[in-house]
Amino acid sequence: MLQSAKIIGAGLATIGLAGAGVGIGTVFAALVNSTARNPSIKAQLFSYTILGFALTEAIGLFALMMAFLLLYS
Amino acid sequence: MTTFINTVFINNPLEQFEIKEFFYMGGPLLGAKFSLTNIGLYLIIVTILVLGMSYLSLNNNKVVPSRWSIVQESLFGSILNMIKSTIGGKGEAYLPFLYTIFLYVLLSNLIGLVPYSFTPSSHFVFGIGFSVAILIGVTILGFQTHALKFFGLFVPAGTPLGLVPVLVMIETISYLARALSLGLRLTANMIGGHVLLKIFSTFTWKAVIGGPILLLISIIPFAFIIAFTGLEIAIAFIQAYVFTMLTASYLNDAINLH
Repeated sequence: MLQSAKIIGAGLATIGLAGAGVGIGTVFAALVNSTARNPSIKAQLFSYTILGFALTEAIGLFALMMAFLLLYS
Repeated sequence: MTTFINTVFINNPLEQFEIKEFFYMGGPLLGAKFSLTNIGLYLIIVTILVLGMSYLSLNNNKVVPSRWSIVQESLFGSILNMIKSTIGGKGEAYLPFLYTIFLYVLLSNLIGLVPYSFTPSSHFVFGIGFSVAILIGVTILGFQTHALKFFGLFVPAGTPLGLVPVLVMIETISYLARALSLGLRLTANMIGGHVLLKIFSTFTWKAVIGGPILLLISIIPFAFIIAFTGLEIAIAFIQAYVFTMLTASYLNDAINLH
């Protein structure tokens, strides 16, 4: 009973990944948009994009950490 | 054959992060137990690699650079550019610190991608130990340069007086949360990537031993494993870069106060 509840909880924790997916999509969509508007600052924008991508991805990984905590503790 | 499969097979994808003790010494004379574990061994290997890379790129102090020196110089130049764009001229004094952090985190991420090896950066003691130490150092630096004006960091410019108590609380919490989030980001990325690779290879192995038709189909997940390994190498670089960049921006807060 407790085991199945743990597995259901870990499955529910992955719902949070929807937000991370939307966030990463927004970051790269903004990069494509702004590169199309002003291609000359592409290199500078790319470093900001990598930073934004990493910050957004970390939020998704917190969901992963919760899933691990539920499964293996 | 079946016994071989059963013993090689890894059931738990988190088994690769287990810390094993190789040997220990200690006793009544020393009072404490000194032990060499696999994380300790790999941290020593990473240190030797960093020192060895730097030693090789010295190239016996010759003026004409070798290939090692060119790699080292281009890394050095990109870190210097990053510092100039985030901190400014005052930050160049912290170049050796940030450069060492970048090289150390990068090599400990990359050493975990060698098959059958251990990832030192997949343990919270690595990431959070680093980030807590960085936050303490940055706070001391801020108080040293600005004295009590450092508290101005917690009040954004142009705040109405009524909002000040609430904003100070929020800003203090977000300042202290940096200590956790900086290390957690690196560690969670490493754990996530390695677990993903392990789960995928378990899946592929089950397809390989399943039968002749599944053996043919297993080419597809195998191609995915190769692609994910390439992605992991990219993530190792990106995370080391982000770790260094965020450390630089925290230094910027302490030096320039926004």
